[in-house]
Amino acid sequence: MRPDTLPRFILRVFLWIPVCFGAWYASAAWHGTVTGWLASLIVDAFEPGIVKAVERAGIELVFVTRIPVQASAAQTGMLVVEVGPLIYSYGLALFLALALASRTSWHKLALGALALLPFEAWGIAFDFLAQAGIKLGPQVAAQAGFSSAQREAIAFGYQLGSLILPPLAPVAVWAALNLRFLEALVRPPRQPVDE
Amino acid sequence: MIRFAAVFMLLLAASFALELTPPVQAALVAPWTEGLARLSAALLTMFDPNVAAFGRILQSTRNGFAVSIEAGCNGVEAALILICAMIAFPAPWKHRLIGMAIGLVAVQALNVLRVITLFYLGQWNARAFEWAHLYLWQALVMLDVVIVWLVWIRSLPPRAPHAA
Repeated sequence: MRPDTLPRFILRVFLWIPVCFGAWYASAAWHGTVTGWLASLIVDAFEPGIVKAVERAGIELVFVTRIPVQASAAQTGMLVVEVGPLIYSYGLALFLALALASRTSWHKLALGALALLPFEAWGIAFDFLAQAGIKLGPQVAAQAGFSSAQREAIAFGYQLGSLILPPLAPVAVWAALNLRFLEALVRPPRQPVDE
Repeated sequence: MIRFAAVFMLLLAASFALELTPPVQAALVAPWTEGLARLSAALLTMFDPNVAAFGRILQSTRNGFAVSIEAGCNGVEAALILICAMIAFPAPWKHRLIGMAIGLVAVQALNVLRVITLFYLGQWNARAFEWAHLYLWQALVMLDVVIVWLVWIRSLPPRAPHAA
């Protein structure tokens, strides 16, 4: 087999991208269940007892909370928040494309996909917290019992989980699992030696 | 490698937190984003006269369709990731600065292409727009960052061996 060059590697990544996006989308409901469960653990650590259950509605995740909301003058209900998990999990497709293009072993592929789950869960958890603590207004935030310091933390956690972690985590996990490949890839080509 | 990862994460956390502060948003991010909308409009009007930019909004004057360039779509975070990775990697400052300048142009050029393609994709099909906007282009811009970073590392001069 010829040694890998950067252009060949990049070409393989681009060839794998459509396949990996297809696989990611096809498996979205399955890993949405796992990340939804992990997200509920993160939310519980942040504000214990706030979430009663996380359910799936197709690909969407539904957080059933214990936050009371006034539906009408006579009716009180519990707040239900919907989160779309795909915007936090597309990194799985990027990771798979990078890993397959660098001919990563199957066990590393599985390990990497597992390693990405907490990052995806972070995004989902803070999306829910941002909706309950900020976006749905001060009344809901007060009912949820978030302090102003907690709301600041939610804002930062949400930005981090939506803008930085989804694109960065797959690359970081891929790099961590493929250090030797990376070293070989960036090694400058050998110069001919004069006799 | 551990040193690189630690420095990179520290730099990224600090620069990202700084980016989110209202003064930096007002002084740098907002003008940058509006400039991006104007640049996209200027490029588009070369072959499509029915495009106008208002602030960070790019709008079709023909059918009223508009896209607003928001956080995550202005290439600022991708640029931050690239800059932090170049600073964290052991290299002479001259090479870092050249790498950052070329890298930022590469990232932002692709980002302008993203804005332009999304502008037309949105007018054609809402579902395709959503897919490209939320998932595909995000991954491609990050891939651009990775490629620029790898090419930059490859172009660095060999490090001098340690003295015996």
